[in-house]
Amino acid sequence: MRTALAALALLAAPAMAQDRPVIVADSYPMAYFAGRLAGSAAEVRLAVPEGRDPTSWRPGLAEIVEIQGADLIVLNGSGLSDWTTRAALPRARTVETGRGLTEELIATETITHSHGAEGSHSHEGVAPETWLDLDLAARQAEALAAALERALPDADVETALAGLQADLAEIDAAAEALVEGDPVPAIASHPRYAYFGRAYGFDVTPLNWEAGAAPTPDQLAELEARAAETGARLLIWEAVPPEEARAAVARLGLAQAVLPSLIVPPAEGDFVSALAGGIDALAEAVAATAN
Amino acid sequence: MNALYLAAANLRFHWARTLVLVVAAALVLAVPVLTRALLAQGEAALAARAEATPLLLGTRGSRLDLVMAGAYFTDDLPEPATLAASEAVWDSGLGIPVPLYTAFTTGEARIVGTTLDYFDLRGLEAAEGRPFALLGEAVLGASAAARLRLGPGDTVLSNPENLFDLDGAYPLEMTVVGVLAPTGTPDDEAVFTDIKTAWVIAGIGHGHDDILAEGEDAAAAAARVVQYARITEANIDSFHFHGDPATYPVTAVMVVPHDERSATILRGRYLDAEGPVQAVVPADVIDALVARLLRIAALVDAVTLVVGAAAALALGLALFLTWRLRAPEMRTAFALGAGRGTIARLALAEIGLVLLAAALLAAPLVIALQSHAPTIAARLIALGS
Repeated sequence: MRTALAALALLAAPAMAQDRPVIVADSYPMAYFAGRLAGSAAEVRLAVPEGRDPTSWRPGLAEIVEIQGADLIVLNGSGLSDWTTRAALPRARTVETGRGLTEELIATETITHSHGAEGSHSHEGVAPETWLDLDLAARQAEALAAALERALPDADVETALAGLQADLAEIDAAAEALVEGDPVPAIASHPRYAYFGRAYGFDVTPLNWEAGAAPTPDQLAELEARAAETGARLLIWEAVPPEEARAAVARLGLAQAVLPSLIVPPAEGDFVSALAGGIDALAEAVAATAN
Repeated sequence: MNALYLAAANLRFHWARTLVLVVAAALVLAVPVLTRALLAQGEAALAARAEATPLLLGTRGSRLDLVMAGAYFTDDLPEPATLAASEAVWDSGLGIPVPLYTAFTTGEARIVGTTLDYFDLRGLEAAEGRPFALLGEAVLGASAAARLRLGPGDTVLSNPENLFDLDGAYPLEMTVVGVLAPTGTPDDEAVFTDIKTAWVIAGIGHGHDDILAEGEDAAAAAARVVQYARITEANIDSFHFHGDPATYPVTAVMVVPHDERSATILRGRYLDAEGPVQAVVPADVIDALVARLLRIAALVDAVTLVVGAAAALALGLALFLTWRLRAPEMRTAFALGAGRGTIARLALAEIGLVLLAAALLAAPLVIALQSHAPTIAARLIALGS
């Protein structure tokens, strides 16, 4: 955790000035995994500036040149960093941790368009938040560990991987215990919980609310309509909402829990503690819906 | 001294005839030396490049075409393989694959679409500017930059693949962002881009405005679409690729195995004659080619010897006839008291001066061309077919 936070704090430091190998990650979960696995053997940096969503962030030329200079570039894959299709990265120093997850990916909306004599064609989107299925996260950590063993031959990556996977397995077990039997309908404030819902028994209907912002009356009306439509009695917040938002949702008769998607660093704690806290909160909310 | 003076005066007086003799003699002296130098340099360049390219993967077919296209960027292109061949090497963990797509040209230079790993593995460094970082950027080899007279900030336009194929690959204007330091290899002659840029030239990736109006049929909107012919900061985000990346074309995949054992395992995986992909060790192919070249060189030596002897005889005959024409002059000299030895010295002095002038003319030519032999050899190799 400390390693990851220290890495984030050094985000803007120039790569050239470092003695230790530099690892650049395209998202917080990958930066956290890299920090846990590399320990003090490398300096881990998050490529995405603080407060920016990695799914919409586009690096400038200077940022790409700096990323090119890293000793290892860690990508989540699954379409999270679309900019990588238009940038030149050294393949031998790049690891796409989601490369082996093709069969498990969840397709999102398909965009069809047409141009020239080629006729119409489609772009199939993919939900990128694979780490919210802890089983997939563990496989991503394994893929990253393999790359780190080659990049950092002196680091004890194997031991670190065992520790990280134990933590992930613990959260996975807690999440597995959330729902018994049929899937529980739930509404999420943002469409980031497809993998989580599929892995842990939630039938998630996504909204598209801004994280941490109070919903407008129209958005609340939409929530009410969706809840009636799906029978959901549970709302999953991506980030801690304002008190008035929480109260407004409570008036609709919905149980609530904050489960950080971790696409950006959590406000408090790290990947493991924030996710474990979110699972605990979700367990309470699920229990509340049962009463 | 007097013989030299008289010989020089005579040669000067008949300057046109002397000039022809000197140029002819210079060519007879220089051509065999230059031929040997270029052949030796060509062999050395071929062998060095092959040694620096441990393994090449490509579509099963002519091994020579694959090696020449993949290592020397010649015009004889094998049937393209797919990126799946490169990804299979990644998945095996046995080596570092570097895909190369060399289907296009700009001017007379071949466009080599590859990854940044190519620069790392070949030890290529930018003498000016930087390596490519974005779609649509190009880095020029040293000789290509000099020949095209381009540098960072300029642009290069890919050649249309087929002037009569209106639906084929359209020219793409690329921004030059760097020029590589000279290496004396085919890299000097190439224009490098990210392989994704080469796929844009091939039409696999493209960018365009989102022109579909609300409620409009996609087919109706298609007629209005104009694809970008240049990738800029403003339109780069509209560029996208179609299809499964594993099916994207590559001319060859250069593979650097992690160790000898990995190399052996990798080669073993492509032994099946029915498989679509073959693995070729360039050094083996080039050794066979060089052995053939050496046999041809021996033949060239023999031919040169015969032609040289014939040329020497022709020059000798020319000198002899000249002396026959000067018989009255010699009789006068004899009558004035010049002995046969003096006249012989006069003849030898003239021959010596002609040969000296020929050597002086040939030497700078040989030195100049020999100093450029690596570049000339690289260019000749890159020209391929």
